[in-house]
Amino acid sequence: MMLQQTGSVQLLCLTANSGVPLFTRGACKQLPFSIIGSLNGVHMFGAGQGVVLGGCETDRGGRVVWRVFQDSVMLIAVSAGRHAQQGSGSGDSGEGDFQMRRLLENVWSCMVLVLGQDELVSVRNVERLKRDLRSCYRLIDQLLEGVQGQQSTMGDLTHCGDCLLPTNPALLQEALDGFTQAAESEFGCLMVHGRIAAATDKWWRLAPQEVVLLSALARTLSGSASCDFPVFLPQGSPNVAHRLLRFQLLLGADVCVLCGPSPTLNRAESELVGRFWSPVVEALRGTLAVGERCLPGSVTLRPDVLAVLLINRESRRSVSCVKTVSAHPSPHPCSPPLPSKTRCWELLRLFFTFSATRYFPLEETPPTLALTPGQNGHGEDTESLQEDFVLGFFHQPLQCYLVTDECKCYGLQTGQHQLYLLTPLSVPTFALRSVATETLSALTAAKGF
Amino acid sequence: MAQILDPGSIVVDDWHRSADSREFFSRILHKKKRRNFGLLEAPVMPPNVSVDTVHYKIFISGKSGVGKSVLAARLTGLKIPNMHYETTGIETSVVYWPVKLRESGRVLFFRLQLWDCGENALRRFDHLLPVGLEYHKLAHPYNNKMALNCTDSVILEKIYLIPIFLCVFQSCKEQVDAILFLFSFTDRVSFDDLTNQIARGTELCDRVVKLVVGTKFDLFTHTDVTEREVTRFQEVSGLPVFRMGGDVTNASNLGEVAPLLNCLAEHLWHQDCVAAMAPAIPTHPESAVYMKSTV
Ligand SMILES: Nc1nc2c(ncn2[C@@H]2O[C@H](COP(=O)(O)OP(=O)(O)O)[C@@H](O)[C@H]2O)c(=O)[nH]1
Ligand SMILES: [Mg+2]
Repeated sequence: MMLQQTGSVQLLCLTANSGVPLFTRGACKQLPFSIIGSLNGVHMFGAGQGVVLGGCETDRGGRVVWRVFQDSVMLIAVSAGRHAQQGSGSGDSGEGDFQMRRLLENVWSCMVLVLGQDELVSVRNVERLKRDLRSCYRLIDQLLEGVQGQQSTMGDLTHCGDCLLPTNPALLQEALDGFTQAAESEFGCLMVHGRIAAATDKWWRLAPQEVVLLSALARTLSGSASCDFPVFLPQGSPNVAHRLLRFQLLLGADVCVLCGPSPTLNRAESELVGRFWSPVVEALRGTLAVGERCLPGSVTLRPDVLAVLLINRESRRSVSCVKTVSAHPSPHPCSPPLPSKTRCWELLRLFFTFSATRYFPLEETPPTLALTPGQNGHGEDTESLQEDFVLGFFHQPLQCYLVTDECKCYGLQTGQHQLYLLTPLSVPTFALRSVATETLSALTAAKGF
Repeated sequence: MAQILDPGSIVVDDWHRSADSREFFSRILHKKKRRNFGLLEAPVMPPNVSVDTVHYKIFISGKSGVGKSVLAARLTGLKIPNMHYETTGIETSVVYWPVKLRESGRVLFFRLQLWDCGENALRRFDHLLPVGLEYHKLAHPYNNKMALNCTDSVILEKIYLIPIFLCVFQSCKEQVDAILFLFSFTDRVSFDDLTNQIARGTELCDRVVKLVVGTKFDLFTHTDVTEREVTRFQEVSGLPVFRMGGDVTNASNLGEVAPLLNCLAEHLWHQDCVAAMAPAIPTHPESAVYMKSTV
């Protein structure tokens, strides 16, 4: 079996009622206007017949998904299936669909995050909206890169915050709590290498998707010394803006707080940053040294693990890591080469999707009250991302595995965790289960994750 | 009010080219590129060399698309993004720049924090501003809600919403030491608007260094502004004008940014010296302490 790549994705945004194009992102070769028009037309035709067109697949492995948000904006994602091969692919369209639907959902939320729901729903001036939407491009482009496997984070897909486990969590947590409070906020988060190394309790109580989008936003802002960015919270506060203050403490270590009107960026930076973070600068350096592996040195992974994703289902946190390939010389010269690091990220995403759509559905959080009043009557905003297949089960699967022509995959689920694992083909299939259970206990025992 | 200084009158011109500067400039470079410093970091000198650091806030002014973010990236030596993205809110970046004072021979690190604001976000809410209410009156939004005395709940919500954006932009102009006024060589309107821009920008700040930067100078084939006009503007306004453009393939090429950064340092230092001699309290404790010992 093959896990198919999503290929290059193009995103189209149109007004829902009149089909006026608002923007397109992704893929260097833009679709001709006539095709955009037809894609809109076919969806409208369906709507006229009382049918909601959700997605379709082309005979060359391409895929199109549609979704209308709040009766005002239509998003369409078009993917060109790379590596489409005859015979394969027909059975695993679920992965692509799930990823693309997640993408649309995330793009809409990111539009709300930047512009606020009001501006998107009650459009007064289309030209103005088009101009304002440019403020979302940086974040949208990052989401598109994620779908194409060019990001080493998975939150956009899992809707669990990507974490990095620091060597000295208590010290950093204390600094963060103090800093957040001094900044007149309850929402604070320390990001290291673009992942959450510590966050306040309230931060974890934001909607999981908000946690993920705020992390993505902080990553797009990285490089500057500090930022003051107006944000709406797609679920918690879609019409009243807050401020996201972000400070680059060390290269690769940023702290974010969500604030009201005060303090000013000036004041927070000059009075608070040094006071709370200078004393723990060594702990920060230590955490930076954890690196992209995201796990402290005390946690050792078995050598036959290529990549791993661990999700805490309750707290909606995840930690994922792909080992560098050089550490894995193929045991036999004749055995197939190990997938590259980027490919491992891609495979991990695909395997997660494969399992999540079939066996291990992640509970979606119930929609927050704030969102309900504006909801349209089509039920589209709450559509399920799971396949009907799952609904046919009477029991809850606990483990699953998959052997592809690039690697072997093993998934396992407990009351609290989900673990997704990739191993080289050389690992005997019967040994996968013990590799997985061992890895799970190594990860959870050491850090209480 | 402010006097325009000749290059090299206070700080050593082109110091980055001399051998005795290498020890200092090497601290702001890393693998032939400019080093990026986090807020908790600063250039580290060997223990036997002590160098004072003076802090300044520089505001980059100009309309959207003129090249503010690219200029900030140029001055900090960071990678210039190959895609243009709209700046939303404020982004600041930090430049450390070593400077040698001509008279005393003393070396200082200038820490220049550049403030880049995407003003589009503010303009987005123009249409929501109640007629006749000026921006700065809204500075304390949560009181204004009452002050405006409006009962209409829709308007109330809007007014509640605007201030966050205003709060963001208010802090840009708080305690600014210098303003870089930008125009683009490919945009005539931006050049014609300079005088207005400068008047607006300096409305609330009395003691501030002003510099003009013309961006996209590399696109001379599309230029909308002639050399003669720029010279004339320079004479009339009495402000230094710099020309910037081209891609920075070699980020350690300090020659491109040195004239501007030295000029900025020179004027900032001069402004502080004047202030220190006047009875007014200087705004920069760090530099003030230093000056008490030298002046
Ligand atoms: N050729 C050239 N292009 C520039 C220069 N400065 C800015 N640009 C381009 O002008 C556009 C707007 O620049 P940006 O810095 O984002 O403008 P801002 O809105 O003022 O921050 C971008 O596409 C840049 O690539 C320059 O010096 N030379
Ligand atoms: Mg900008």
